[in-house]
Amino acid sequence: MCGIVGYAGGRRAVDVLLDGLRRLEYRGYDSAGVAISYEGLKIFKDVGQLSKIQSNIPNWEGGMGIGHTRWATCGRPSKENSHPFTDCSGRIALVHNGIIENHLSLRKQLEEEGHKFTSETDTEVLVHLMERHYDGNTHAALVTALSEVKGTYAVAAMAEGDDHIVVARKENPLVIGVGVGENILASDVTAILNLTSRVIYLEEGDSAIVSANDITIFDAQGNRAKRDPTTITWSIEDAEKGGFEHYMLKEIYEQPTAIHNSLLGNLDEIYAGAIIPDIDVTSVKLVACGSSSHAAMVGKYIIESMAKLPTTVELASEYRYSPGTGENPFTILLTQSGETADTLAAAREARRRGCRTMSVTNMVGSTISRETDHVFYTNAGPETSVAATKSYITQLMAMYLLGLRLGTMRQALDRAEVRNISTELRSMPRYVNGVLDEASEIENAVEMLASANHAFYLGRNINYPTMLEGALKLKEVSYIHAEGYAAGELKHGPLALLDATTPVVAACVNDHTREKMLGNISEVAARDSPVLGIGLEDDRDLAAITDIKINIPTVSPILSPVPLTVVLQLIAYYVAKKRGCPIDRPRNLAKSVTVE
Amino acid sequence: MKAIILAAGEGKRLRPFTMSRPKGMILVGNIPILEHIVKALVDNGVNDIIMVVGYRKNTIMLHFQDGRKFGASIEYVFQEKPLGTAHALAMAEPRLDGEDFLIVAGDNVIDAKLISDLLDQKDGPTMVVAESEIPSKYGVVNTDGDRIVELVEKPEIQMGNIINTGIYYFPNRFANLFKSQIFSKELGITQLLSDQISDSLIDLKAVKSVGRWNDAVYPWDLLNVNAQALDLTSQIVKGTVESNSVLKGAVNIGAGTRIRSGCYIEGPVIIGEGCDIGPNVVILSSTSIGNGVQIGPFSYISHCLVMSNALIGSHSHVSRSVIGDGVRARAGLFAPSDDCTVRLDHEIFNLHDVGVHIGQDTTIGSRVVISPGAVVGADCRIRDGVRVSGSLENKSVVV
Repeated sequence: MCGIVGYAGGRRAVDVLLDGLRRLEYRGYDSAGVAISYEGLKIFKDVGQLSKIQSNIPNWEGGMGIGHTRWATCGRPSKENSHPFTDCSGRIALVHNGIIENHLSLRKQLEEEGHKFTSETDTEVLVHLMERHYDGNTHAALVTALSEVKGTYAVAAMAEGDDHIVVARKENPLVIGVGVGENILASDVTAILNLTSRVIYLEEGDSAIVSANDITIFDAQGNRAKRDPTTITWSIEDAEKGGFEHYMLKEIYEQPTAIHNSLLGNLDEIYAGAIIPDIDVTSVKLVACGSSSHAAMVGKYIIESMAKLPTTVELASEYRYSPGTGENPFTILLTQSGETADTLAAAREARRRGCRTMSVTNMVGSTISRETDHVFYTNAGPETSVAATKSYITQLMAMYLLGLRLGTMRQALDRAEVRNISTELRSMPRYVNGVLDEASEIENAVEMLASANHAFYLGRNINYPTMLEGALKLKEVSYIHAEGYAAGELKHGPLALLDATTPVVAACVNDHTREKMLGNISEVAARDSPVLGIGLEDDRDLAAITDIKINIPTVSPILSPVPLTVVLQLIAYYVAKKRGCPIDRPRNLAKSVTVE
Repeated sequence: MKAIILAAGEGKRLRPFTMSRPKGMILVGNIPILEHIVKALVDNGVNDIIMVVGYRKNTIMLHFQDGRKFGASIEYVFQEKPLGTAHALAMAEPRLDGEDFLIVAGDNVIDAKLISDLLDQKDGPTMVVAESEIPSKYGVVNTDGDRIVELVEKPEIQMGNIINTGIYYFPNRFANLFKSQIFSKELGITQLLSDQISDSLIDLKAVKSVGRWNDAVYPWDLLNVNAQALDLTSQIVKGTVESNSVLKGAVNIGAGTRIRSGCYIEGPVIIGEGCDIGPNVVILSSTSIGNGVQIGPFSYISHCLVMSNALIGSHSHVSRSVIGDGVRARAGLFAPSDDCTVRLDHEIFNLHDVGVHIGQDTTIGSRVVISPGAVVGADCRIRDGVRVSGSLENKSVVV
């Protein structure tokens, strides 16, 4: 999604802004621009890469400015539609992330009042509204303008002659980095960490005045508010590539450490309530979007089998508009960024329905962590590649820990079972390393997928959602149309699509569905589809009916999604690499989906 | 001044412990060998490091990234094929930017003193030499005063015990020496220098340091190198120690680790994060235990290197042994140490007080006895109640 950066301080603002925007590149963008306070207000913006902007931008000094990377939603990608926008007089510049829902009616009014619009965007009405109310107080003009719009926003603006930037947020993330004699603001912390590790997360409806030496924050009612800075423990280096060809590959390789960190301190405290205190739970609902929803689906199998609790999964974008049934399940919301718009809305809806809520997120201090009763931090560390890898695997770890915790709380698991699962979980980093050690075999095995236009991913039981995730990974990074399917559903449609040009990826482990799965794979092979089987090393039956077999370490069936997921990530990565795709920034996709 | 660390090789003689990582990434004192090297350089103000990586390079790059965490700035040069150290240097040469440089072999544990001795005593091209009990495994030098007059790689005829440590200083003009080696067949620096010395084309100074230089050539060497690297000074407990456990001396226990009741641990011992030890486990001095390790009740572990995610079941006795990552031993593993004779790669070694060596991910059933000196490969399966001795290939099944 769009990225915002702002800076006030002693450095050259152009450099700080472009560096910050580069760190937000992963969010996806088609155009970018900056406004600098230098001999008045200077604007430079264009479509295309930041490098192009960097080489063409005039040599403006000036220690204050705002910048933006745009990911087109309202109005096509063009120079005219890129941010920052200015008012008619050119005295106010503004950047915005979000959607103004009533922009058409506002635009009509403003045009009737004589305002001249230069773009097709919803954002531009904001700056003309500010112009309408501007009497020398930029903050007041922004707040009044925002009171007239319906929609969501993170917005930063500045006026000619000011020594400060004014910002506000509603349902879109905005963080302020607290420096010494300088302050920075951005859509997320990765753009800030280079300057400072002390950040303030603005709360819903907050606005602020940010100058080089001062940060003044106001709450939604316009009262002065105090927001304490959080110290981010990552360093910027954690989010850089360090010799790896792609972030995605680096992040795949970071998974053993991420798993270790997500378990640390929690596994030992299953009985002590480290994850959630003793609460009365009769049913569970898991709500998420995208990859997180697949982790949620795996979570359903885990919680049902470990805690014997009825569990349902819903997509956040559906749940929030669903009628609700009067029941109040323990509602768990999964979002890597903690800022996913639909999942945030779902959290609010769950609370409105009176449910106890818990969030599973990777971002300390993110919006969702403040809007739920309980939080589990996955500790995956910064994830930069658009395709989720280590954040997904640590969400799975959260599901196992939660399953164990709910299972012990309800005495559905005895101590011996808990011990056996804990022992295997503790060894999980090693099992994942075992898969990574064999990465070159996977690289060799994916040739059959690289030239395909369509592919099917089949699994059963807990590995059905795992294969959905595998198919999603392939779609995202390699642009191959891939469909995940429950193998038992094969006869109800997709079998008609299979032929020698449609490869099938099938997972088979030693659970109670193994025989059925082998049967399904045979059916597929009989339609001439090339089959890439993923299964246990000593499974000769599977090897006999597949064209290529990739081995995963022998773990309990309920834990098999972990090594299997890593194999599927590597398959997607190597296929995309063979096809020459821009792996870390797939077209049209954004890292954290902060619009609905 | 820049430093070039040569870390592209595997370290084959340490198999099976180099299955998934190069020798430089083996942890001694719970820190990779390469990190000891980087630390020694940074402590001497040599922050600009060029690391030549190849075999399992991801493990190195993940650990060091751009070096900032270690106070260094690290660049990587990829040597994808094992074409020798001279070729590796030739590949690193363009990154020297005209500066003088150190060359450091990436597989020996060194300390800051060794580097400072080299920097203080260097005079033109300089090599650090050391005494060795097994000089035939190294390049052996003959000196005239502090000048090297002869350098022979792995001599077949005995010629003294002063060996080349693979650590050098060169003024920048010598960078050209290696540049011509880009296309040559596998060639070591030692060979190249040896030729140069015998043709009197180079005047190489020898520096003998009092600093640390430890090399593990064979699996059983890892224990001594580990013991030397375990220079712990105080007791640091980040995890949980249950009541009635005794920690004596320098014992370090990582976060999220639980030492259950009734354990007796005598330092120096380091235990990583997220481990589950005990109850009633004895761990004796010079033992390093990685992350996520589990040791069951009533086990005895003495002078061992236990790598991450290993599992040692209850009632086990393991002495002077190296246990690889993810090894899973059920109850009653008996792995004592003793004097023994080991046959490896057509060579015979008479060893003093050595235990066993078990490669990564090997699973071991209950009541298994492994004889002193055994080298068990990776991914082996050893069934209940058997006795194992000698060396086992990777993926062996013992019934």
